[in-house]
Amino acid sequence: MTEFVIALGWLGIFAPMALGAVASSIGCSIAGQASIGAMLETEGGYGRFVGISAFPSTFVIYGIVIMFTLNREVTATNAGGLFGIGLLAGIALLYCGIWQGRACAAAINASKEKPEIFGLALAPAAIIEGFGVFAFVFALVVSAGIPA
Amino acid sequence: MSDSDLYTALVTSLPSSERLFVAKQPPLSRLRLNKRLSTLSREDAQTLTLVERLLSWSEYDMADDIGTVIARTKTALRDIAQPTLRTIIEERMELRTAVAALRMRNRGDTAPTGNWGYGRWTQHIAGNWTDPTFRLDASMPWLRQTQALMDRKDPLELERHLLEVTFRQLQRHAARHQFDFEAVVIYVLKWNIFDRWAQSNSKAAARRFTDLSLDALRDFPDLILEGEAQ
Repeated sequence: MTEFVIALGWLGIFAPMALGAVASSIGCSIAGQASIGAMLETEGGYGRFVGISAFPSTFVIYGIVIMFTLNREVTATNAGGLFGIGLLAGIALLYCGIWQGRACAAAINASKEKPEIFGLALAPAAIIEGFGVFAFVFALVVSAGIPA
Repeated sequence: MSDSDLYTALVTSLPSSERLFVAKQPPLSRLRLNKRLSTLSREDAQTLTLVERLLSWSEYDMADDIGTVIARTKTALRDIAQPTLRTIIEERMELRTAVAALRMRNRGDTAPTGNWGYGRWTQHIAGNWTDPTFRLDASMPWLRQTQALMDRKDPLELERHLLEVTFRQLQRHAARHQFDFEAVVIYVLKWNIFDRWAQSNSKAAARRFTDLSLDALRDFPDLILEGEAQ
């Protein structure tokens, strides 16, 4: 039983990094495909489309930082805390990354027709980034209470 | 990647459907559209062809009886997996049934019986034959204007009105599909409406040009046109 609890602890340490990587790859892929499509239809401004496609890449960085913060010797005492914080932070990052990718794709699709709304169209993606930052920051704050 | 993001690149490579109707020149030719659609998977391309053929008047033989048309629609619906596409087809067939009923009534026919149309409203329409909108104001609010345009004998306006109703139906479904296969099909169906719209415009322009030419030439009765027998 103790081994299983310790395994969960390790899972919790690596989950934010792994799920963050999945989030960023899916999000960047969705937004990247949208930017490629938009490039076929527009005559210029390709750089900004590619720039938006990279927005969801931040989630893997948040995941790496959380992983390093949680990384410590796993014991039966702290495994539950590591598992809970790590897994839930990872799931939050996963959803934020995928949906930010979709929001970026929508922004690219809209701004290819009306370049003047480019900045405003990015607002939903920025708001989603904010939710990801909440999950990231509070994972760091709460992890301070887990025994080393 | 989920089905809802399957055709992100394809959808963003198409000009917005709203632009189709405001542009003086078509922003996308059928040739270019087909080139973009070549990224569809084989199954999806087949479904798109099926939907287009089912909704295109040119694919129907005017000699076909209503039973054949209904059977063809039902067979096609069985092969279409996407609920939104099935709903779009059913709505279009119901629209055609309601318009056909208006035409039959204008012709002086009595309430039809038996298998005369498609969809859930056939019995209801037959039961409310004398009502101006067959008591379908709530579900088909566009019927009243359709009847008015038929009374005015304005086929061009009627055609445009029906295209507008169809376009609005598609817009309603488009709100729930952004980058998936349904979004692609809805775009193609909107393109088809734009194409028919543009054709009706060019026909109206040609008729107007002929009328004006004949009107102008009336002042010169002795004028002999090139190629005209003396």
